[in-house]
Amino acid sequence: MNGPTLEHYLVFSALLFCIGLYGMLTRRNLIAMLMSVELVLNAAALNFVAFHHFLFPGDSGGAVFPIFIIAVAAAEAAVALAIFIALFRHQQHLDVQQSDSLKG
Amino acid sequence: MPFKFFFYLIALFVLYSAYFVVTARNLFRSAMGLLAVLIGIAGMYLLLNAQFLSAVQVVVYIGGIVVLMVFAILLIADVTQKVFEQSPRWRQGLIGAASLLWFSLLAGSMLSYRFGAAAAAVDKSGSIREIGRALLSPAAGGYALPFEVISLLLIAALVGAVTVARADAYNDERKEGKA
Repeated sequence: MNGPTLEHYLVFSALLFCIGLYGMLTRRNLIAMLMSVELVLNAAALNFVAFHHFLFPGDSGGAVFPIFIIAVAAAEAAVALAIFIALFRHQQHLDVQQSDSLKG
Repeated sequence: MPFKFFFYLIALFVLYSAYFVVTARNLFRSAMGLLAVLIGIAGMYLLLNAQFLSAVQVVVYIGGIVVLMVFAILLIADVTQKVFEQSPRWRQGLIGAASLLWFSLLAGSMLSYRFGAAAAAVDKSGSIREIGRALLSPAAGGYALPFEVISLLLIAALVGAVTVARADAYNDERKEGKA
């Protein structure tokens, strides 16, 4: 079958990772930064599945780990959004540049 | 051939949506871009013959996390005001150049490495049956302990999220009680 190879998926997920990294470092809103983190997590999970499919089809680790990644991402999103809600009640904005009340 | 065509179609769709996620000034549009990215990744899982993962991606990520984020955006960030401060231009350019450099390093190293062929072709790899056996098997190749730890983590995250989000109301009550 003349489908996409492992390298296709690796380069694609590297590109997705770098877009997420760019968003994480340039966005100033906390929710937007969290969404960029989700891009990075998805790129990592896709790598697991691609390696599982192309190199280690008999080893179930590559198929199980994305499920753990998704579960951890769900826990992370729930806690982070709760923190954002508390922070927003406290200071009425979510701008990381202005959130400097701990700065000496 | 059609597999390759679908791959490029989904890749373009996902990358455009990801670009939208990191650059859109309206947070709600950003969230819709994230939705499109996650749907595209689910399609990639289908191309990789991981149907169960694709379903989990749609149900948990799109049905859970994105909906949670949209809720938070509607609760917190005043969507109607539509002005979210961006980083200064020079910082965007600098970080963009650094990300591109990092991508070229990653892609160059991955393309120069010769991956071997698959150890053994197994039919229906990544099937629900295989994943279920691996998740609940306490033997050496199983993931029963991480599975249980994840359930503990989810409980802790749930309780923690409710506690943190309600902390303000608790403080208000305490202040009123003292006053």
